[in-house]
Amino acid sequence: MGIVVFFLAAFLAIVSALAVVSQRNPFVSALGLLGNLVSLATLMLLLDAQFVAAAQVIVYAGAIMVMFLFVIAYVGPRGEIGPGTRKPWQVVLAVVAGLLVVTQIVLVVWTTDFGKPSSIDDAFGGPGAVGQAFVTDYLLAFEGVSVILFMAAVAGVILGAGARPKRLTTDQVLAKEGEAEARRRAASRAAIEAAREAEPGEAR
Amino acid sequence: MVDGVLATIIKSFVLVNVLMAFFAFMTWVERKLIGRFQVRYGPNRVGPFGLLQPIADLGKMLQKENMVPEGARVKLYMVAPLIAMTCAIGAFGLMPFGGVATIPYFDYQFHLYIADTSVSLLVVAAIGSLGFYGLMIGGWASGSKYALLGGMRAIAQLVSYEVAFTLAVIGVIIQAGSLSFVAISDAQMPLWFIVPQFLGFLVFFVAAVAESNRPPFDLVEADGEVVAGYHTEYGGMRYAMFAAAEFINAITLSALGAVLFLGGPNGPFLPGPLWMLIKIGAFLFVLIWIRATLPRVRFDQLMKIGWKVLLPVATLNLLLTAVAVVYL
Repeated sequence: MGIVVFFLAAFLAIVSALAVVSQRNPFVSALGLLGNLVSLATLMLLLDAQFVAAAQVIVYAGAIMVMFLFVIAYVGPRGEIGPGTRKPWQVVLAVVAGLLVVTQIVLVVWTTDFGKPSSIDDAFGGPGAVGQAFVTDYLLAFEGVSVILFMAAVAGVILGAGARPKRLTTDQVLAKEGEAEARRRAASRAAIEAAREAEPGEAR
Repeated sequence: MVDGVLATIIKSFVLVNVLMAFFAFMTWVERKLIGRFQVRYGPNRVGPFGLLQPIADLGKMLQKENMVPEGARVKLYMVAPLIAMTCAIGAFGLMPFGGVATIPYFDYQFHLYIADTSVSLLVVAAIGSLGFYGLMIGGWASGSKYALLGGMRAIAQLVSYEVAFTLAVIGVIIQAGSLSFVAISDAQMPLWFIVPQFLGFLVFFVAAVAESNRPPFDLVEADGEVVAGYHTEYGGMRYAMFAAAEFINAITLSALGAVLFLGGPNGPFLPGPLWMLIKIGAFLFVLIWIRATLPRVRFDQLMKIGWKVLLPVATLNLLLTAVAVVYL
């Protein structure tokens, strides 16, 4: 049962990952990434990491990808990539990055001892065990991440709010309106005079 | 988790069918109740008291022509209602309906829930948030601006209310000390969490109404602004699936409210499933009542309620709960 689910999820993960990079429409690509995240969550379930699996779906699939799709739908057909937009340096970069990932996979598989499966207890991967790890062994990293997230939240608010519009007093508003009115009058006067000068020439 | 694969499949089959029947019955109840609230009769022609109305509606839906609008992305257009429906039913599958039951004569014992994991609450939240992709994909793939706007409204609403919803639920989690539905229900044995977590309950309820896209928060399908929202271009059975998913989400959120705040299947005299039914029914009645009485909010009001009222209140509730649990 487990092995069937594993191969199914692994197959789906690869197919959806390919869809992310091969689809021209960003909306479909984002859906591919969503499928990839869900497949990975399934793989994590098989590794007895229930909490990480659930958190992955909630945070990445449920919140982050939703925002991606929102932005892509907002941008609309402008986001679609036409033919001939691929640049040569992108191809080089992609090949290098791909080779790096392949090297990493090979190294990891090479150095791992697959002989003996590690033993785990019942609490492993549950919310209790994960929480325990957060506030004991990895407290510093956990707090560091929370500070970074807080900074991101504050930055989001500041960027989203933009520059504050200057508040004008009533006098300033009236003065501005007066200026605009005077400019409009001057413009229309100039137009009328120009028309008067042009008129005799037209009449002939 | 003790039951075998076959027992789980049978239980899932029974649960899905009971859920669909309950949904059909509830559409009748909703129309009848709203009729009464508005001093009308409601459906009363098909069958006794109009009880066969849902079946007549189903027959009508099935006979509709299978239409795909021009400019739609056909595959995604077809699959969107399926996503919404699957996630709606899947989230309900984790609800507990009691402890251990025994079938007489065979002496076979089984649990009155399909699965009880240590992260049940998170799984329900995860599946529930995946269900919104059905709305978004449906809105986008229809190739219509109203559908797209409806889908985007659905996402904006989900993102805004998910935060307050989760924070309100965390209060319960802290007090129960578990994410498993069975443990949370059992933790409320002497006193339902609605009493100590009343603030959290209020936030939960408002956020739940908003998440199930029901009035007064049904901005997603506000007919004066975006026609019918994400399902504008859908007809027949696909529309019915969207409608069913929406109502089943409301049922799931009612069941969640019953488990988190009203003691779940625990109660005196009556068996667990009956208690769950009564509590879910009570929630649904209030939802229908609200639908019949309150006008729809504006979109800026919706955002204001979510971010400026519910979020601070939920955070306050969370802080108070944390302090109380540690120091009392």
